[in-house]
Amino acid sequence: MKQFEYTIKDPVGIHARPAGLLGKKAKEFEGTVVTIEKGDKSAAATKLMALMGLGVKCGDTVTIKIEGGDEDAAAAAIEAFLNENL
Amino acid sequence: MDYRKCASEILAGIGGKGNLVSAAHCATRLRLVIADNSKMSKDTVENIDGVKGVFESAGQIQIIIGTGTVNKVYDEFIDLAGVQAMSKEDVKQAAASKAPVWKRILKTLGDIFVPIIPAIVATGLLNGLLGGLSRAFPSITDHYIYALLDMFSNAALTFLPILIAVSAAKIFRGNVYLGAVIGMIMIHPSLVNAWTVASGAETSTLWSWFGLWNIQNTGYQGHVIPVVIAVWLMCKLENWLHKHVPEMIDLFVTPLVTVLVTGFFTLTVIGPIFAQLESWVLMGAQWLITIPFGIGAFLMGAAYAPTVVAGVHHMYNAIEASMIANNGQNIWMPIATAANVAQGAAALAVALKTKNKKIKSMALPASLSAFLGITEPAIFGVNVRFVRPFIAGMIGGAVGAAAGSIMNVYATAYGVTGVFGFLITMDCTVGYLIDFVLAAGVAFAVSWFMGIPEEAENGGKKAEPALAVAAASAGDAPAPVAPAQAPAACDAPAKNEASEFIIASPVKGKLIALEDVPDETFAQGILGQGAAVIPSEGKVVAPADGEISSIFDTKHAVGITLENGVEILVHVGINTVEMKGNGFEAFVKEGDKVKKGQKLVEFSIDKIKEAGYKTETPVIITNTDDYASVEKIADDGDIDALTDIIKVSK
Repeated sequence: MKQFEYTIKDPVGIHARPAGLLGKKAKEFEGTVVTIEKGDKSAAATKLMALMGLGVKCGDTVTIKIEGGDEDAAAAAIEAFLNENL
Repeated sequence: MDYRKCASEILAGIGGKGNLVSAAHCATRLRLVIADNSKMSKDTVENIDGVKGVFESAGQIQIIIGTGTVNKVYDEFIDLAGVQAMSKEDVKQAAASKAPVWKRILKTLGDIFVPIIPAIVATGLLNGLLGGLSRAFPSITDHYIYALLDMFSNAALTFLPILIAVSAAKIFRGNVYLGAVIGMIMIHPSLVNAWTVASGAETSTLWSWFGLWNIQNTGYQGHVIPVVIAVWLMCKLENWLHKHVPEMIDLFVTPLVTVLVTGFFTLTVIGPIFAQLESWVLMGAQWLITIPFGIGAFLMGAAYAPTVVAGVHHMYNAIEASMIANNGQNIWMPIATAANVAQGAAALAVALKTKNKKIKSMALPASLSAFLGITEPAIFGVNVRFVRPFIAGMIGGAVGAAAGSIMNVYATAYGVTGVFGFLITMDCTVGYLIDFVLAAGVAFAVSWFMGIPEEAENGGKKAEPALAVAAASAGDAPAPVAPAQAPAACDAPAKNEASEFIIASPVKGKLIALEDVPDETFAQGILGQGAAVIPSEGKVVAPADGEISSIFDTKHAVGITLENGVEILVHVGINTVEMKGNGFEAFVKEGDKVKKGQKLVEFSIDKIKEAGYKTETPVIITNTDDYASVEKIADDGDIDALTDIIKVSK
């Protein structure tokens, strides 16, 4: 399992569009589960409703956990996505 | 855009002809089923000029191309791939194309007539009743209510070519409004009414085709076949033009050229040919009934219904008029009655014998109308489609007409047949009754015992193509977005409780397809499939009982998890997150339980527009991946909140 932390810079946080795009990115890695944790709540990146339900806002720090499959590639891709979009 | 190039690149991108199983298209997408998904290169296809997006859903490859262009790419695609289109229409057509040509032509005529039967039945019944009443009580014709009813009773028959043209345009897949225009041209008030021409009205020559033949200014009232041919021609022309005229000028060039060419060709070529054929038929009919011993009447009784199919029966008034003028004895009318009631009786047998409710509900009124003298519904709607009842009607008509002739039955006027014919055959009531009963009885018996194909009888379980077409065309316009793909449509007949859910609209406004949302992320279904509404009222309500899963601080989007597990995101406007809540008010918070119809969010449509954002509000099933299919089930257009718009199937 790989994990890293990321602090959201986007002024509106993880709203519908970035959540959808993040889910799409996560789906590219078959067999890999990407989980986003905020405090004691967590959501699979592919579960859009749960992800939005985290209510991640600007300045929040989330933990991203990546498990199974090509973890390194997935972690790099997700991190790049976050830097670019959130 | 080069449609053929686009199509050939798509074909190459999905792994070539060999990998393609079936192809269909909806309003914006090419929907393909391919044998081996690994042979497809998604990136390649996505990068083809003209392709706006690619994704897989419910076993289909869906390639977004766009409204107005997808059909053209599709046409090229199936041409290149050499596959038959897998739409419902085509499956039916493929089934029908095995039938001989004359059968297909009759079937097409039936398909055209079925949707307009209600109009003709209403008018036919009223027409028959008024005709009968006015013979029984001639004084009522002076009453103003009679004048009104008379107008109602002949409206649909007077303008029949327009109804036929619209229906035919739908069947031949042209623009129905252009079809209507062709129908209107054919009965334009500037032309002399065909019925009055038959009764001796003057016509003049409009033009002569390079001196070869004269074009008379006669209308096409009461005609069927020339209208169908004209509209068929129009649709062929229109579709050809759509394919070959550059997109930019297609919108005005195609309709203009279509109407011009079709209208001109119809009035100058199709029309004169039919006029000539009609005069021959008329001469033939007049000669036929001079054959003595009932033989002539027998033949004419059989031939009468086919001449109705050909649309030349309006000429017969001329025969009747001349008979009345000659010796006051109209011997034509008993022949017409025999033929008409025989068709009615044949349809009645079908109505009583069939277990198919759709056919039954159509055949009954059609039959009644025929007994009153208006045979089109029975002939086109029922008998011709199954062929054998039509022949049964011809046999009955022949027998009845022969009997009438032998007994020298005649009418003293003309204009009515069937039941009300008794009013103008007072001199030989018994003979007329025998003519009537014999024709109806023979036709009914023949139709009952040999008239109905098995499929019609057992409710169409064997998927008789004609019935399927009739049901489709009689029912409603096919939903433009509903994919006509065979697999999904046919595989899931069992509708058990939890296998599908219907989702209501949380917003009132104009429903559009999700792919028509002016935002790629939503349009491509990245957040899930669904539909979208352009709101006319700034209110989001719960589409069903459930729980609020997420609501943003900006209140522009709300996520609801329904009790059945379906997750719905209602996203008010595009990029409205930037408005930071200004113009939005939320009435619920995360974790709240909500009831169907409960108000969740209010928003100001004006403020969204003032801020420069689009108001298109996607309604998305965010857990689309958990289901076999998510499809929009309502047609584009204005809807109320809580109208059913999406079907989710497991």
